[in-house]
Amino acid sequence: MKQNPRDFVIPACQCIVQKNGEGIIIKANRSQTRIEVKDLTFAYLRDPVLKGVNFTLEPGAVGLLGPNGSGKTTLLRCLLGQVPLVTGQISVLGCDMARHARLARSGLGWMPERGGIIPGVSGVGLVAYLGELSGMPARDAMQRAHEVLHYVGLADERYRKCDDYSQGMKQRLKLAQALVHDPVWLFLDEPTSGLDPQGRVSVLELIRDLAWNKGMGVILSTHLLADVEAVCNEILVLKQGELLSRQTIDTTGVDPHQVFEVEGFGNEEAFLAGLQELGAEVSVDQRLLLVTMDLSNLDGAGDGKSLTPTMGVNAILRVAADNDYALRRLRRRPVTLAEEFYRMVEA
Amino acid sequence: MPVYERGYAHWEPSGRKAMPAWLVIAKRGISEPLKRRWILLLVLMAWVPAIVKGGIIYFKLKAGNLADLLGGGWASIEPEGFLSFIEGQRFSVFVLLAIIGSGLIASDRRDNGLSLYFSRPLGLASYILGKMLIVVFFYCLVTLLPVYVLSLFSYLIAPESTGMQTLLLIPLRATVYCLLAGSSMSLVLLAFSSMGNRSIFVMVWWTIMVSGTETISAIAQGLGRDALQVVNFLGQYHNAAAWLFSSDPRLGVSPGVSLLVVCAWTVGAIWVLRTRIRPVEVVS
Repeated sequence: MKQNPRDFVIPACQCIVQKNGEGIIIKANRSQTRIEVKDLTFAYLRDPVLKGVNFTLEPGAVGLLGPNGSGKTTLLRCLLGQVPLVTGQISVLGCDMARHARLARSGLGWMPERGGIIPGVSGVGLVAYLGELSGMPARDAMQRAHEVLHYVGLADERYRKCDDYSQGMKQRLKLAQALVHDPVWLFLDEPTSGLDPQGRVSVLELIRDLAWNKGMGVILSTHLLADVEAVCNEILVLKQGELLSRQTIDTTGVDPHQVFEVEGFGNEEAFLAGLQELGAEVSVDQRLLLVTMDLSNLDGAGDGKSLTPTMGVNAILRVAADNDYALRRLRRRPVTLAEEFYRMVEA
Repeated sequence: MPVYERGYAHWEPSGRKAMPAWLVIAKRGISEPLKRRWILLLVLMAWVPAIVKGGIIYFKLKAGNLADLLGGGWASIEPEGFLSFIEGQRFSVFVLLAIIGSGLIASDRRDNGLSLYFSRPLGLASYILGKMLIVVFFYCLVTLLPVYVLSLFSYLIAPESTGMQTLLLIPLRATVYCLLAGSSMSLVLLAFSSMGNRSIFVMVWWTIMVSGTETISAIAQGLGRDALQVVNFLGQYHNAAAWLFSSDPRLGVSPGVSLLVVCAWTVGAIWVLRTRIRPVEVVS
């Protein structure tokens, strides 16, 4: 958002007051893009759905994972200020959501899982209408509606009634309405729900483009781990209302925690002792030895920046050679996000 | 043609003035029904009594007392005659409001539209005000607007009419009445609409509210139990307006009591709306 010298900021809510020839416009301060959640506890009735949740997010692609009923959608509602906050504090775009949620919402886009389509209206009519409700002038909203519908791939169907849209088109339309006012953060609740594989890939490509190339913050709430892997660089895992884990998905460097499947014969005791000297943990899975290594503990790893993909394999080969252990099989077992997720949730 | 060739561009505000959210809701809610021909036909049919009244006023000029005999007080160009006209529009008001207003909140609840509305910088008051204005507009379209036209027509055609009375006081009285009564009725209708997900059930409740209570009131009148006429929903509005139009009470209860009943309905409707409208998704 461009700031004029005549604009000023309200200290209490960090909102910008803009003066133009026709009046005063109050908007969320888009230079403050952070989301801060402190000690958030929320209950619809008696049992708390969220318990003492704390985190801070900068714009990026964040995956919100958790089993059904873990509080993902409720957390998004809290971030939108749609439910009253009793315990805890949420600050979005510099606005305290307990008092200034409406102002913050001008910088937030929301794509609900269920419904979210107003029947009897054309696609472009719906998106423009919601744009106007977001505080856009009517002509800007209409122009912008055409642009975002083009972006999401509904240019040819924009004048059709929403009721006639397929499930995939409805999901794209919901994404378009969330984008129309150019939000700073986009909250997506199960955006690929009900889509065929091709539709799912194209929607994920759009989301990835927004998060990685357009600088938009995206919180993707889903139980499809592959969606998170495809889009996000950070994940928050919720379980029974508690924030179980927060992890960064590193797609560029080498993961220092690696698991190897080893099978062989010879002096097994000496081989296992040699692995333990390297700091590896060994467990037995039927005939296989599962060796879990932290590569950063190995010689030559330095401060973790000089890790190489073959470092773990080379170390095991060296230990096997030193201890007369003949390897029949040595393979790195890829640790998927799904395995990591289930390990965390089941723990 | 590749789908994404244009890419995503950030929005640069043009500097034009944006409408308040309640006005955006009202504008869309008014324009959408007016695109349907059968609704326009319904509105035109609701104007038939106004055309008839205009004809009688014209006939009165030519035929004198004969017109009074045919039209009675309804044909009068005094305030009493205009209140009678608004009262006579109750069937059109009942039908039109049922069609326009029953789905206003119910369909938003059914399609999870509330979650969309309240993800925007929009408050509950703006949402209700926007929806209320839609109903008030259609109410005024078949009551207040004909009164304006008839007032002007009366002034132009009837020799006994004065500019002060027919061009100023009657339209002013009708404006005050129609805006207050229309707002109150719309809040009650919206409260019904917020209690369900399907407009057909809202229509049923609205029918019971309007026709059912009127039937009970008529039976009570027949049995000589005037106090029971207090249940007549639309009748209370006309009865309370009697003092505003300097005319006789319409029911067997005093206009003050009717005013209290109307206020109670309005407050109750606001309470229901505040309780029922929440941006929480409908789980079916």
